[in-house]
Amino acid sequence: MNYYGAISRTSAIIIAVILIVAVGAIAFYTTQKPTPSPTTIIQTQIQTQVVTKTLVQTQTQTRIQTQVFIRFAGWSAGETEMKNYEKIIKMFEEKNPRIKVKYEVITQMFHENIMASFGAGVAPDVFYLDSAWAPIFIEKKALLPISDYVSEDFINQYYSFLLKPFKGADGKLYGLPKDWSMLILFYNKKLFKKAGLTKPPETWEELEQYAKIITDKTGVPGLAIYLGGFNRYMPVALSNGAPEPWFSKPEDASWFDNDVVKKTMEWYINLYLKGKIGREKEGLKPYVVAPQDVGAGWLGDAFGGEKVAMVISGNWMIPFLADQYPNLKFGVDWDIASLPRGSVKRVTMAYTVALAINAKSEHPKEAVEFVKYILGPEGQKKLVVEMGHTLPSIKALAKDSAMWPEHAKSLSFIEKYDHVQIFLWGPKSGELESTISDIMASAMRGEITISKALDSMKQAVQEMLQK
Amino acid sequence: MKLTNFSLTLIKSKISKSFEKTRQREVLAALTLIGVAVALNMTFGYFAALFALYLSFFKWDYIGPMEFVGLRNFEILFRELVRGLHGAPFFLAPFYTGLRNILLYTAIVVPAQTILAMVLAAFANQKIRGVQFYKVSYFLPAVTCPVIVSLIFIWLFMKNGLINYFIQMVIPGFAPDWINDRNYLLYAISIVAIWGTSGHFMVSFLAAMQSIPRDIYEAAMLDGAGPIRRFIYVTVPMLKPMIVYVVVMGLIGALQMFDLAYVMAGPSGGPGGAGYTMALDIYREAFLKLRPGVAAAKSLFLFTLIFIVTYVFQKRFRVIAAR
Repeated sequence: MNYYGAISRTSAIIIAVILIVAVGAIAFYTTQKPTPSPTTIIQTQIQTQVVTKTLVQTQTQTRIQTQVFIRFAGWSAGETEMKNYEKIIKMFEEKNPRIKVKYEVITQMFHENIMASFGAGVAPDVFYLDSAWAPIFIEKKALLPISDYVSEDFINQYYSFLLKPFKGADGKLYGLPKDWSMLILFYNKKLFKKAGLTKPPETWEELEQYAKIITDKTGVPGLAIYLGGFNRYMPVALSNGAPEPWFSKPEDASWFDNDVVKKTMEWYINLYLKGKIGREKEGLKPYVVAPQDVGAGWLGDAFGGEKVAMVISGNWMIPFLADQYPNLKFGVDWDIASLPRGSVKRVTMAYTVALAINAKSEHPKEAVEFVKYILGPEGQKKLVVEMGHTLPSIKALAKDSAMWPEHAKSLSFIEKYDHVQIFLWGPKSGELESTISDIMASAMRGEITISKALDSMKQAVQEMLQK
Repeated sequence: MKLTNFSLTLIKSKISKSFEKTRQREVLAALTLIGVAVALNMTFGYFAALFALYLSFFKWDYIGPMEFVGLRNFEILFRELVRGLHGAPFFLAPFYTGLRNILLYTAIVVPAQTILAMVLAAFANQKIRGVQFYKVSYFLPAVTCPVIVSLIFIWLFMKNGLINYFIQMVIPGFAPDWINDRNYLLYAISIVAIWGTSGHFMVSFLAAMQSIPRDIYEAAMLDGAGPIRRFIYVTVPMLKPMIVYVVVMGLIGALQMFDLAYVMAGPSGGPGGAGYTMALDIYREAFLKLRPGVAAAKSLFLFTLIFIVTYVFQKRFRVIAAR
């Protein structure tokens, strides 16, 4: 009588062995570097050959093609973007039958994921790299110097200020910008008209004044800003003559001792402290609000829902408005303008993402080919210009007929700016931005005084950069 | 006679042989089935835990090589705690803020969820109509994804949300901005946690209640005890072992709370760090500040805290429970 029914002893052993081996293999695989990506060999004739790693050498004159796999990781701004990428990858593969691209979308905590994959030795060959994260990767020699692989003419196609964050200390380029966005002033034309205003504000003082006028005349808060947001404050500081920020060693924290920085920071924090909290204490309508104060999730919602008259945001808000608020017409109901001037110059912020190549990639040449295609005029026209999410990083594409009028208009402001500041504060940009923003938010809510906030910023930055 | 004896021995030996075989097979099957769990646990549990211990003595940035730094990571941790004790604001001593918040949170959530779970179980244990419906509706939060629960509660907790609507019926003019006010955020998170976990523990209590012998209740009834007294003097003492279990599990869960805070307060802990927790700080150390060594040291601190709290609790109350 077999107690276990159909399972005999031998089969039980076999199952046991298979299971243990499988689990062991999984465990081993997760802790080990993966073996090089599979190389399929397509032969036209059967001949003797010597295959070394991925390069195929033949002793006869046989035409042998090796198929190479490269892994490409990015985040996604939605399904359309993903589909467009899949399309362009297909086009690339058709042109380069030798190269196969595996597209991997990491939706959450992208750079943390990439970091961890470097730690585990399984990083993708090509991946997105935000300007704020670039110095960490470059400093650790994790990236391939792409300037060694492409011509100078190719590099000169791009806006030079977009290349800065991806330049290493050795002068080499470790990434090329795939697209970019800049800060612009969005204003509601209907509310401006109601308040008797005919043109967008020209200076920072006017911005605050206009916000007050609009609120008093229409009852709608004039301006929405985020609580915190070091990068949103930066144009105010720089346009009033503050030195360009760069925090790489503890002494750099003295930036916060600069008089212009102190004054402008006070002004920016006071926008909310006076415009919202102070006004409500007086029983008046606030002229500056945060999105959550008007029941909006972010600036785009606040502006699109016509709950505020002005916001300063990036190009990413344009497709959002078109998609979520189709009844709000560009040029009729709302318009964009350059950021206000400071006492010294006019400055805006730029945000860019590059494609970078893993220094340990097994197929650097193929990866470069792929990057060149995606970032080149053909790829960018499809992925950036036609999609209308962001701005093309290639200068020549600014005049492309497929450009969205809103984006084209924002690009026309470039000549007005004396300086375009890239979102990059040093090797610890992400942590710095988050810490300073938290302190700013605390001061804006009135939890700490402005001078205490400035001291805390300096101290926090100092400690962050020690050793 | 002899023949029968012989055949009996033969049968016996055959039986024992087949028993041996069955036993062997049983052992083999058991090992196989356990092996899968053990292997997975070894890799993702013990290996990861030991690696974290190892990591806590190193400075690393994921890409470059690891650098041995001795106890420096622990020094960073304790400095932060000391500074927090001296009254530094949240952004200069986040770990201290996380510790303080999580202790308060645990002190609110664990007793509340235990008592609520017990009361719910007492109701579900009654022979009333539609009891199955109650059981299911109490248990439903336990099978719902906590992230989605938090997202829904963010809506309910809005300044002009449903919760404030009901509160204003009772206390007119009282409408806190739960999520954006640092004085209320932690309570809002606690309420969601209590709501979300009570149903789960209710099931444990219900099982324990159903094993309480009827005659004790009957004896209590004969002595003239009403339903409330029966609950306090019969049900609660009889449930003591289960209470210890629920409280210990609750403590472990509460002290390492992450998901609710991450969604409701945001990764930076919300206004003034009011919703910041130790687990959130560990996550930020590892992935925002890129100091996995410090993160590992902080995890060890959290582990030690959980271990001591649960150990002390068990040691104290197990004795009473066994008596």
